[in-house]
Amino acid sequence: MRRFIEGIGHGLIDSIAKMGYGARLFWLLLRYSGTSFTRLRLTITQIHFIGNYSLIIIVVSGLFVGFVLGLQGYNTLQRYGSEQALGLLVAIGLVRELGPVVTALLFAGRAGTSITAEIGLMKAGEQLAAMEMMAVSPIARVLAPRFWAGVISMPLLAAMFSAVGVFGGYIVGVVLIGVDDGAFWSQMQNGVDWMEDVGNGVIKSIVFGIAVTFIAVFEGYDSQPTPEGVARATTRTVVSSSLVVLGLDFMLTALMFSRG
Amino acid sequence: MPTPSSSASTDQPFVTIQGVSFAYPTLTGALGRQILTGVDLQVKRGQLVALMGGSGSGKTTILRLLGGQVKPQAGSVMVDGQNVHALTHRELFALRSRMGMLFQFGALFTDMSVFENVAFPLREHTDLPESAIRDLVLMKLHAVGLRGAQALMPSEVSGGMARRVALARAIALDPQLIMYDEPFAGLDPISLGQTANLIRTLGASLGAASIIVTHDVEESLQIVDYIYFLAEGKIVAKGTPDEIRASEMPYVKQFISGAPDGPVRFQYPAPDYAVDLGLSK
Repeated sequence: MRRFIEGIGHGLIDSIAKMGYGARLFWLLLRYSGTSFTRLRLTITQIHFIGNYSLIIIVVSGLFVGFVLGLQGYNTLQRYGSEQALGLLVAIGLVRELGPVVTALLFAGRAGTSITAEIGLMKAGEQLAAMEMMAVSPIARVLAPRFWAGVISMPLLAAMFSAVGVFGGYIVGVVLIGVDDGAFWSQMQNGVDWMEDVGNGVIKSIVFGIAVTFIAVFEGYDSQPTPEGVARATTRTVVSSSLVVLGLDFMLTALMFSRG
Repeated sequence: MPTPSSSASTDQPFVTIQGVSFAYPTLTGALGRQILTGVDLQVKRGQLVALMGGSGSGKTTILRLLGGQVKPQAGSVMVDGQNVHALTHRELFALRSRMGMLFQFGALFTDMSVFENVAFPLREHTDLPESAIRDLVLMKLHAVGLRGAQALMPSEVSGGMARRVALARAIALDPQLIMYDEPFAGLDPISLGQTANLIRTLGASLGAASIIVTHDVEESLQIVDYIYFLAEGKIVAKGTPDEIRASEMPYVKQFISGAPDGPVRFQYPAPDYAVDLGLSK
């Protein structure tokens, strides 16, 4: 019984210490972010690696999510004779929720894991220590460019996801099922508010970008420098990122779209 | 085989470690196992000093202390007259830019070519034009015999070559203090001889203070000027190679002869063997 209570105590202290360490790293990341913008090439290389290489999975997923939305949306709407509103439903669903959230989840699996593994293996191979000994801050040179690349890439990928998703909904709703082409686009144009829907969706994806990429760089930097340690850190990135994204989505939705 | 030079050392030590005690702090701030206790050592310019001792004796920690990567709980670490642990972040980085470190397995950046690895410190710390960087990198690579390997990636070079590339990178900015962490580990005899020769000649030609952490007795005694022996975080013996060879100290004798048992036990501390097997109570 005593050991059980001690275990809880240790777990609690470790968690608080880790949160403090994380907060400190986040502050240092912001403090050393200058290099990411003065030497833009470092960040652009990472945007290419993190963003471009995630495009395939984002585009394909967006297309299929659009197909499903088109199909399910039509089945539901036609019961009430509102199938003309299919374009609106697909667009709202994508820009407000599915675009930012699914992109963030896919991003965590595709790019987050690679960031964690890369930084973890650099740590295990003493590359980060070597950098420090060469008077080069690994936070400025390695972590910050990856962090900002993730933050910049996420809204762009989410926009791509939503755009391709709308196209998927169009293919299923208009081309295959036969919903009126004009109604599909005009309802979408009239119903989707630029600031309320698109703007909030972009804000969400930026917040998710910060959360997911920070978790990825933190887990890599904090990983045990062993094969097992890096494997565990990579797993933690996916699990923590996914949970944080879903939790943040609920909070942001409540803040943005609840009517008092 | 390289021989110890009489060295151009000045009387003033470049590195002075005085009364240093150190234990790694845990995440919660509590101290872990004591790594170093009351360590004193000095290294002069142009001198090549070896830190020897068994695994876990605290040799590498001394290098980490010199680089300011960890902070001692007691004592002081002075490099070129500056207390490493009293420096601001900026001052510490300025001091580090005058240090070079060769890591155990090279620690080359795996996403950069051999050329880019050596160019890295030059690009980070100087505003030299590309043509000057190219010339300097080729000169450093030539010094370690790998000018022809400049386009290769770290994954394409052998362990010994990687160590030499890392050495070229470590001396890219002509450091005044060079630290070598187990430079001979895992090398074949030819690579080992080449690395030892480079360590001797490069340190001497730069007039740098050099510290080599090793347990390769044979090779080290032939190239170093002075040796400190560490055991359980304390300096238990020190002297020139001749003094060490003549030492009657059981620990040093065991280390030099490579005897499997002695002051350094073969068996990790454990309960009585018979009791563990259940043969007696």
